[in-house]
Amino acid sequence: MWKSIIKPLNIVNKAFLSPTENVVHQQLRTTYVLKRKTPPRLHKKNSDPKPLRSRHYVYELVKNEELEKKANINVILTTYVEGLGNKGEKVSVKPKYAYQDLLLPGLAVYESPENVEKYKDFMTNPMSDVEAHSSPTAMLTVRSLSGIMLSVVMNKDTHWSLKPWHIKVSFRKCGYIVPEHAIIMPEQEIKGPNMDLENREFFVTVKINNKETVPVRCRIHHWSTEVKDRIPYASEFWKEKVEPIFDEHSSVLNSIPHKAELKK
Amino acid sequence: MFLNSIKQFSTIVQNHVNVNHILSQSVKSIQVRNYAARKGTRDRKAKKKVKAEVVKVGFVPHNQRNKLKLLAQREPLKFDDSWKRNPTDDVYVAKYYKWVVYPFAEAVKCHQETHSPEMYNKPNANLHVTIELNMQGEKKTRFVDNFTSVVKVPYNFDHGEERTIVVFSKNPDEQNEAITAGATLSGGSDLIKQIQNGDVSLQDFQYCIAHPNILPELVQLRGLMKKKFPNPKMGTLDVNLGKVVDKFLNGVKYQAVKDDYEKEFGCIKTVIGSLDMDIKHLEENFSVLINDVNSMKPRRPGTFIDRCILWSPPSQEVLKVDHAVFLKELNSKGSQNVFEKQEDYDKEEEEEKGERVAL
Repeated sequence: MWKSIIKPLNIVNKAFLSPTENVVHQQLRTTYVLKRKTPPRLHKKNSDPKPLRSRHYVYELVKNEELEKKANINVILTTYVEGLGNKGEKVSVKPKYAYQDLLLPGLAVYESPENVEKYKDFMTNPMSDVEAHSSPTAMLTVRSLSGIMLSVVMNKDTHWSLKPWHIKVSFRKCGYIVPEHAIIMPEQEIKGPNMDLENREFFVTVKINNKETVPVRCRIHHWSTEVKDRIPYASEFWKEKVEPIFDEHSSVLNSIPHKAELKK
Repeated sequence: MFLNSIKQFSTIVQNHVNVNHILSQSVKSIQVRNYAARKGTRDRKAKKKVKAEVVKVGFVPHNQRNKLKLLAQREPLKFDDSWKRNPTDDVYVAKYYKWVVYPFAEAVKCHQETHSPEMYNKPNANLHVTIELNMQGEKKTRFVDNFTSVVKVPYNFDHGEERTIVVFSKNPDEQNEAITAGATLSGGSDLIKQIQNGDVSLQDFQYCIAHPNILPELVQLRGLMKKKFPNPKMGTLDVNLGKVVDKFLNGVKYQAVKDDYEKEFGCIKTVIGSLDMDIKHLEENFSVLINDVNSMKPRRPGTFIDRCILWSPPSQEVLKVDHAVFLKELNSKGSQNVFEKQEDYDKEEEEEKGERVAL
């Protein structure tokens, strides 16, 4: 009995669920500009044109549209996109990137007159409903800074107390340009040389464009000018978890992803 | 047997009959030509044959066989970050943007910060400079040769090298002047004789300086001195011996070295002072050095010095500095001069051509 029911069902299934033919509904570029290798001969006046020979059907490729570089297209962002811009901003991007990474996931819309009208308010007043970022690249910098462990190398022999310019120099040494006014130091003063502080953590807050803030994990290291006085090098010290200098810092430091965890 | 039979056959047949006509195909292979070849044919053929000379290549280690191939794949030494974008934020990751170009004073300050007593504690560290050059000559296939020079800088510093100088002069006063200026040894014709006898070795001296009055006698030492022989181009043949000795003793020594593979890339590495010097003094030293290097610029449009980098061990930081500011005066005049010179050069060439045509 079941067989008799299933059989018509299968037919229905085939008819409705599986597509009968595979149709590509996308625009195809099939234009090739060609040139005859041998131009056909001229025909006489008041007579039929001469028949084409086989050599007249040999062509040379002049232009293949498929291989041509496609022009950028304009899109309007519907959200903040890292490295591109804020919501409502009009950006010009490569077409493939626009289709795959912006239009398809819904991060942007085409720059049609309707859409321009619709997103006009965001352009004039970006603070309307979501928080705007100070620049397209600010969040990329935040991401990069939150992943690093900054080594603050201080002297082992002379007295010091940690100042913003020490942090600035440490940042510059490892390839980050951070001006002094963008650095917010921990409230308590850190003084040295103090071997209890060696390889211990604290954090400084970096304020990008006076807007985005990011805590950065730092570690104190002691360094001596004399080679014999230097502390022996510990291999892969950044993978070990260590105690913070101040207990108040532990909650923030725990919230920053650790190097060792990032690797996994 | 067979040949004998042919001989017999040919005797039978009369002389005026061509033997080849009668003989079978197999016999024709031993053809005899009855007429002389054209004159000089053999010589011509011999000339046409070019003997391919087999160059013997010794054993090349396996890791060096594809050296050129490997060098071609190497990233070019010439630095170009023009494709990178300019930073827009006040905080940024340096590697994603164009290199920061510091004004000279600021770059020195940065190094002073890293070498402060609170950090590296080496405030008297040497300040090194790397000058990258575009060694392209007047033509694309020509390149500027490696060059070495010593520049007199306005503010002396301890370069840490031991430089030995020998001075030749006929006048005892001038000899004393050289010694007081810091020359290792000075003398006249006696010294020349001592060197010829082998009592004094020229190997012990890096520089040989001479007064023009002793030059005729000094010619005897040309073979011993070789490249060290005093000449005005190097600045080693001068009337004012004290100044010259001071220059070679305290000046900045530099050597421009071309890359073996990338011929248009040259590099100079030298020291211009120490970090505890006054920044303005360092700046002047740098300016003098830069202008001296730029004087070697070939007569072509474009820049000669591509990039200047300041570095100071033990810190590994390298900071690019704006050198164009120091070249400015020379550049504005120089560029005009270059064009004038170029024009002169063209004219000369034309004249030469004209002469050739006339001849």
